[in-house]
Amino acid sequence: MHGLFRWSSKWWPGVIPLVVFWAIAAWTTTPPLESDLAARSAAALKDSLLDKTRITVAGRDVTFAADAFSEDGRRGAVASVAAVPGVRLVNDETQLVPEAKPFVWSAERDVVRVTLGGSAPLPATKGRLLEAARATLGGVEVVDQMNLSRGAPPRFDNAALLMLDQIWKLKDGKITISDAKVSLAGMARELGGREAIAAALKNLPEGFSVAANEIKAPPYIFQAYKDPVAVTLTLTGYVPDNNAHAALVAAAGRKFFNEKVVDNIKASLGAPSGFANAVVPALGALSRLSTGTLVVSDREVKLSGDAFYDAAAAQIRAGLKDFPQGWQFKADISVKPASAPVDGTVCQQLFSGLLAKGKIRFESGRATIDPDSAGLLDRLIETALRCPSANIEIAGHTDADGEDGFNQALSEKRAQAVMDFLVKAGLPAERFTAMGYGSTQPVASNDTDEGKAQNRRIDFVVR
Amino acid sequence: MAYLVTFHWGWLLASLLLGLAMGWIAVVHRAQAVSKTTSRWLGVLAAALVAAAVARVIPGRPGYWLDLGLIMFALYLAGCAVGSWLRDWVVSRHAPAA
Repeated sequence: MHGLFRWSSKWWPGVIPLVVFWAIAAWTTTPPLESDLAARSAAALKDSLLDKTRITVAGRDVTFAADAFSEDGRRGAVASVAAVPGVRLVNDETQLVPEAKPFVWSAERDVVRVTLGGSAPLPATKGRLLEAARATLGGVEVVDQMNLSRGAPPRFDNAALLMLDQIWKLKDGKITISDAKVSLAGMARELGGREAIAAALKNLPEGFSVAANEIKAPPYIFQAYKDPVAVTLTLTGYVPDNNAHAALVAAAGRKFFNEKVVDNIKASLGAPSGFANAVVPALGALSRLSTGTLVVSDREVKLSGDAFYDAAAAQIRAGLKDFPQGWQFKADISVKPASAPVDGTVCQQLFSGLLAKGKIRFESGRATIDPDSAGLLDRLIETALRCPSANIEIAGHTDADGEDGFNQALSEKRAQAVMDFLVKAGLPAERFTAMGYGSTQPVASNDTDEGKAQNRRIDFVVR
Repeated sequence: MAYLVTFHWGWLLASLLLGLAMGWIAVVHRAQAVSKTTSRWLGVLAAALVAAAVARVIPGRPGYWLDLGLIMFALYLAGCAVGSWLRDWVVSRHAPAA
């Protein structure tokens, strides 16, 4: 032992080459050592849920910065870096992702792009949302302005994915999830889109609720054009469903006795309430025009065209009976220039021609004129105005059903009702006589329904 | 430590061999010996450096270089001790015969 102390006093010369070795070793091994430790640290963090991970190594000391999504996750990540063999110290610069309160996520759509903004809870969620947005909105640019934040409500992913499914139904607008409240605003791309979104909102995950749904639908348009040259009524636009479609076309057929109905209507959701109750009377008003256009846009009904005579124009301008509440009626009616006067014979031909195409209808068993006959009556009045000197008998006829006395009285009352209508339209009462003939002058057999229908009639006879 | 050994085994082996050689030579070398006072001071210095390394007070690269130097130095000393002891054993075995 004593020898060892003695010898050790002479060991010092070897320190000189040792120092040289040490300098070379330090010089050559530092960079590979650092990169090796960096790689091992990164590998140790592979399974940790982190954002913005930065690892810098100086010597054997690792400076580790990252955003973690939970305190446990943060501690675990630091511990796994510290456990890497060879790491001497860990400079912990990790932090928790900021907590968003309220947790707001939004998807905004304009014409060319969709912008996803606000907060997403995890990088994986963010990726999934972007991917879903690109998948549903093929061809539309998707802009990512999402930050990562803590504090998302449970089942946020499902809610956000459901909302992304709705964004393509919008032309423009914004969907916002704030904590567990969903707000929607904007304009649906198509008719029915608003209703489809409202239906989808029923599938929101548990705990989520709709704070505001201000999605607007594009205007619900229905149009009718009466063309006096082609003698057609063209219907375009939308009706609520196939039943309404059939009912509307049937009503048009009754009101427009002369015109062929061209039906270009499509069925779509999103009709304002009271649609049929507004459109049918409006079609009745259109039937009284010589030429005219009816445009129904949401709850606004615009009618323009030419009435046959002044009183008709005034009646149409005055508005419609039985018009549903909340609907607006705007009439821009002028009066068709009066046709050239003709003599009584021509008048009779015109009356017969009109009454051959259409019949003045009444409520069953009563003397109340059916509103569907307003168009025909206007045409008859216009004709009567063309022969001011002719005296006209208005002749009421019934079929042979029922008692003769009742039929006689009914035919008289009906003829009188028509005459009253003409007088109200401004024709002088002294030109007309209302006559009832009961079932005494049939024009067809009373044995068939068809024949009976022909026998129930009002004739205009120039005297 | 195990990591440093596996990563630097070449340099550590070189230090050990250097120590063995120096230890082998030191037994019969006529060089000037270090005085007791100096060697005491050197011992204090080495202890201070070891304490600094263990306490990890020197950060970053210098800290790593200190660790590396101390390990190489430790192996050098071990080599010296083994080398001197071997030489002494060889010398003392031959001496009675001479």
